[in-house]
Amino acid sequence: MPLIEPGEPTGHQNRRRLRYPTRRWTRPEGYVIARVGGGPEPRRRRAQAGTVEKGGYAGQTESAVAGLTDLSSVSVPRTGSVVEFPELPTRLGCAASDIVEGLGRYWLWTRLAHQDMRLRYRGSILGPFWQTITTAIMIGSMGFIYARLFHVELENYLPMLSVGLILWQFTSGMINEGCGTFEAVQGVIQQVKLPFSLHAYRLVYRNLLVLAHNFVIVPVVLLIFPHPIDWLRLLVLIPALVLIVINGIAVSTLLGMICARFRDVPPIVGSIVQVLFFVTPIFWLASSLGPHGRWLVLNPLYCAIDVMRSPLLGQPTSPHSWTILIAVTVLTSVASFLFFARFRSRIAFWV
Amino acid sequence: MSPVSFLRLRDVTLDFPIYQGSSRSLKKALLASSTRGNLGRDAAERVNVRALSEVSFEIGNGDRLALIGANGAGKTTLLKVLAGVYEPTQGRFFCSGRVSSLLDTSVGLNPDATGWENIILRGMYMGIHPGEMRALAGGIAEFTELGDYLDMPVRTYSAGMMIRLAFSISTCVPPDILIMDEWLSAGDAQFLGKAQRRIEEFVRRSSILVLASHSLELVEQWCNRGLLLHHGRVVTIGPVKEVVAAYRQLMDIATPPDLTAIATAV
Repeated sequence: MPLIEPGEPTGHQNRRRLRYPTRRWTRPEGYVIARVGGGPEPRRRRAQAGTVEKGGYAGQTESAVAGLTDLSSVSVPRTGSVVEFPELPTRLGCAASDIVEGLGRYWLWTRLAHQDMRLRYRGSILGPFWQTITTAIMIGSMGFIYARLFHVELENYLPMLSVGLILWQFTSGMINEGCGTFEAVQGVIQQVKLPFSLHAYRLVYRNLLVLAHNFVIVPVVLLIFPHPIDWLRLLVLIPALVLIVINGIAVSTLLGMICARFRDVPPIVGSIVQVLFFVTPIFWLASSLGPHGRWLVLNPLYCAIDVMRSPLLGQPTSPHSWTILIAVTVLTSVASFLFFARFRSRIAFWV
Repeated sequence: MSPVSFLRLRDVTLDFPIYQGSSRSLKKALLASSTRGNLGRDAAERVNVRALSEVSFEIGNGDRLALIGANGAGKTTLLKVLAGVYEPTQGRFFCSGRVSSLLDTSVGLNPDATGWENIILRGMYMGIHPGEMRALAGGIAEFTELGDYLDMPVRTYSAGMMIRLAFSISTCVPPDILIMDEWLSAGDAQFLGKAQRRIEEFVRRSSILVLASHSLELVEQWCNRGLLLHHGRVVTIGPVKEVVAAYRQLMDIATPPDLTAIATAV
């Protein structure tokens, strides 16, 4: 039984089918398509049954309603001249309106993200600040040991480590959790029609909340180990954060779709992120690589951390960090948008 | 409420891709595209189940449509298409009006939050701003008759209480189109009567109801039109009494061959 019935194309769903003409519907075992009772074809039967029916409408005063009544009782014409279907928006249009509608429901995803945080630390007295304590202990213990190991001064090392680690948790958290953007909310996706982008916003916003809780550590560390801070330069943190957030939305959407379709991807992503942790200068100094340090900008995560860490520590930003970060943002956004536009309607089947 | 609400389907076909085992694997999929050999066979053999086949119908203001059919006939899938969850593989679907779907009692409910909190939460999933939802919460609570239970986490609720809560929230704003799966029939008689009165009120305001149920009594009581599905195809659509009669007849005729087909397949 070929999937493409000869007939008029009825929208972009059909174009997808036409592109893969060899794909056939395989009948699963035990699947019966016998026509019921050997009677006339369902379509004709329906028409007969429909003509018997009269009334049943509450308000038939309007001519439009009366017109609908007529249509429902005769067979649906195939020409589309009487029964009107609106012009289907293009896939790109659907994806764009999904993204905009998702933003409009900010009250849903912000609240859900807050709820995620509450649930994660349910029952603990400290609540989400448990996260802060965990990070602080990690920074403290790593700081003292590695400062010794690398023979660097604690007052230089600890601020670098704390800012770097907190930013790393933010960026890598979005990548790791991005694998479950859609899978984690499959119950909702299969029951309610919601903009898909909403799930990515929720994820990124949740990670922003974690970042905010962790960030409490930074002023404390900078007070203990004072650095000359150029306050005006701190303004650059805003565009940097915006870029990282856009990246986070794009990457979590893209990864969320790929991981919903291919279930062996999340462990791969996990491994890659783990390797990236060691090749990104978070607990070691970029300067210790000497002239080879210039290759570090090829790691987008380094660029993302660098554009935020350097202003906070009063250090110069690597010359290409901004360029690479902007380029990567454009790349992930475009790739994610195209992928999203193409496969958005399949997500409900994948999860 | 929009003056004219309707659901319109033309030749809606829905293929369900069944992903399992190796078709879930990126590695296998990549190998399949590169080698095209024996290795690829697993990944390429994706099974599609045709859940709906050329479903066409149209219902308008004031219609209460019952979806009738055996298990696996495609009722829930059709409801999900109407609710906008699944996009048809082929054919066109068009609806006009605000849709409220009650496919599952627990959607959007956080088991650890109280009934009150969940009223707001589920309302937000329905697209209602929490501010508006707070104003509606009193009426919802009254309709559920759950009283002090609303201060308890919904984890402690019985199935019937969940049904009360979910139905009350989903119908707090008169929808143009209400889509319900059969779980509602698990409610007690008193609540069912109350729910029916509320739905009748909607229908008087020219709303549409689509209900999938195995309870033929409930269907005859609530609906005026019926749609009989069998293996994803529309067998008949018409006045509910006729369709129920056709269903009874169909089940008597179709059951024996179906069973043998399944038996041979197993």
